[in-house]
Amino acid sequence: MSGPEENVEPAQMPPAAKAELDRAFEDFYRAHLRDVYSYAYYRVGNHHDAEDLTEQAFLQAYRHFDRARRESDGRPLRPWLIRIAHNLASNYYRDRSRRPQTPLESVDPIATRHDTEAIAEGREELREVMANLEHLSEDRREALIMRFALGMDNREIARALGRSDGATKVLIHRAIKQLQEEMSDE
Amino acid sequence: MSEPSESLRDNWDVEKLLADALRPIEPPERLSGRIEDTFAAITQTAAEELSAWAEELSESELRALRDPRNWVRPVVAVSAGGIATGALVVLELRRRSKQKSESGLRALSSGVRSRL
Repeated sequence: MSGPEENVEPAQMPPAAKAELDRAFEDFYRAHLRDVYSYAYYRVGNHHDAEDLTEQAFLQAYRHFDRARRESDGRPLRPWLIRIAHNLASNYYRDRSRRPQTPLESVDPIATRHDTEAIAEGREELREVMANLEHLSEDRREALIMRFALGMDNREIARALGRSDGATKVLIHRAIKQLQEEMSDE
Repeated sequence: MSEPSESLRDNWDVEKLLADALRPIEPPERLSGRIEDTFAAITQTAAEELSAWAEELSESELRALRDPRNWVRPVVAVSAGGIATGALVVLELRRRSKQKSESGLRALSSGVRSRL
């Protein structure tokens, strides 16, 4: 039997264990595809690279899914998955010397959910807040993406970022405060 | 300096704006197809590797396999399956990358649809 620290590649598992793993992973994938895609999109700023990043995140998650389940002690695996996407996004910028594209490729996916009047009134404010978001440090921006786009609570964000709950609470508070100050100045 | 009530109101506004601006993004349908294709290919290849290996065995080989001294071969075969799976994924990603660079997103999208 595998110890908690040992990772067994799915291809090396006995068929019954692999079938169970595949079923569990399929549920996991369906439950979190939108989370990973949203996170990736807000990190890289365009749909094309967000798709690549999402696929890579799930491939990597699949390879280590068995071990992650064993070590999670029943805790949700979403922070672990988002951490994988976070690491991939960091590599994406490091390897290609890219910065997040600003403004995002399009705010249309967001705007289409508003009625026409709301778009006219609120679109400029949305653009402004997105532009100011890019002024934040990477960790502050990420924390806000996790909170608002993914609906993660402080504890989940802390696990995804590898920080304490307290430090995460302070990080989010300061990120919102900075945004507030920058928007007040404009 | 701002009054506390004004500060609280401003804070609420920024959070509301963030909630509006950072809505979850629905992944395109083609992405689900693309990822599911990749996992299907991984599963199928691993199964074929194991199946082909099992069919090659004669009765005497099966008997020999029960001898722990001969357990190196299955380990090697399974490892090879894992490597082949990895290679398949790399090839698939390279092929997609090439396809993207040659004809852009439209070609990629139609390519994925044609495989579904």
